[in-house]
Amino acid sequence: MTCAEFQKVLPYIIDGGGSPEEQEHLRTCPVCSDLVADLRYIADIAKLLVPMEDPSPRVWNGIEKSIEREGLVKPARRNF
Amino acid sequence: MTTAKKILANGISEQEAIQRAQQGDAECFEALYGLHKRRVYSLCLRMTGNTAEAEDLTQEAFLQLFRKIATFRGESAFSTWLHRLAVNVVLMHLRKKGLPEVSLEESMEPQQEDGPKKDVGTRDNVLAGSIDRVNLERAVESLPPGYRIIFVLHDVEGYEHNEIAEMMGCSIGNSKSQLHKARMKLRDLLKQSKAEKAANRR
Repeated sequence: MTCAEFQKVLPYIIDGGGSPEEQEHLRTCPVCSDLVADLRYIADIAKLLVPMEDPSPRVWNGIEKSIEREGLVKPARRNF
Repeated sequence: MTTAKKILANGISEQEAIQRAQQGDAECFEALYGLHKRRVYSLCLRMTGNTAEAEDLTQEAFLQLFRKIATFRGESAFSTWLHRLAVNVVLMHLRKKGLPEVSLEESMEPQQEDGPKKDVGTRDNVLAGSIDRVNLERAVESLPPGYRIIFVLHDVEGYEHNEIAEMMGCSIGNSKSQLHKARMKLRDLLKQSKAEKAANRR
């Protein structure tokens, strides 16, 4: 199996699976195994991108006006 | 103390806040917004790259949520329901702008740009351990919108390919193919960034 053949199916097998021939190529080919290592690393580090920012107060202000105008809310209780 | 925290500090669960919001309780609407605003906004911001657009879309997503909240029956987690709604709002927005995310069928065409495809060639240094959040953020921002969407939905937000396919009206195969291209593009960008850093150190 050539690298080109392996890399053509890689999108569909990277998360598991692959024929014995494909798995063998991955085991023995340093170029493709480095590529797969990089792609899996990128998928893993995506978890670094946790949400960090809040929208500005204008967003809630806009929502509040709309839900009042549309009659979706009753007058608020103030017993907290 | 924020409304969201007050509500939860008074022993009211999110589920009860949802039920009260369904009855029109204004403070529970605000509490639900407070609980989920960051994740929704973050998704919108990643997919648009623009804070003003992201805020507008966040507002629209929550408005749609609140208009439909009476129909929420708890079959899925509330956050999942909200999140899918937000994704749909963003996709509608991008489609109106005519961005390439709609043309996922391009994966059927031969693509020369992606992949080493070498039987010869050198081993590059692998990326593992060399990338921090800032570099990754920059690289994701540089992705074309069509690639960015798939990467955000799958790798950042954790949706499965069958869910992405349903959201975006494409096949599971296309979702996998586009994700692969997104990761390959990120790989190129991150390697470039790494090489530039190394060159600057000399």
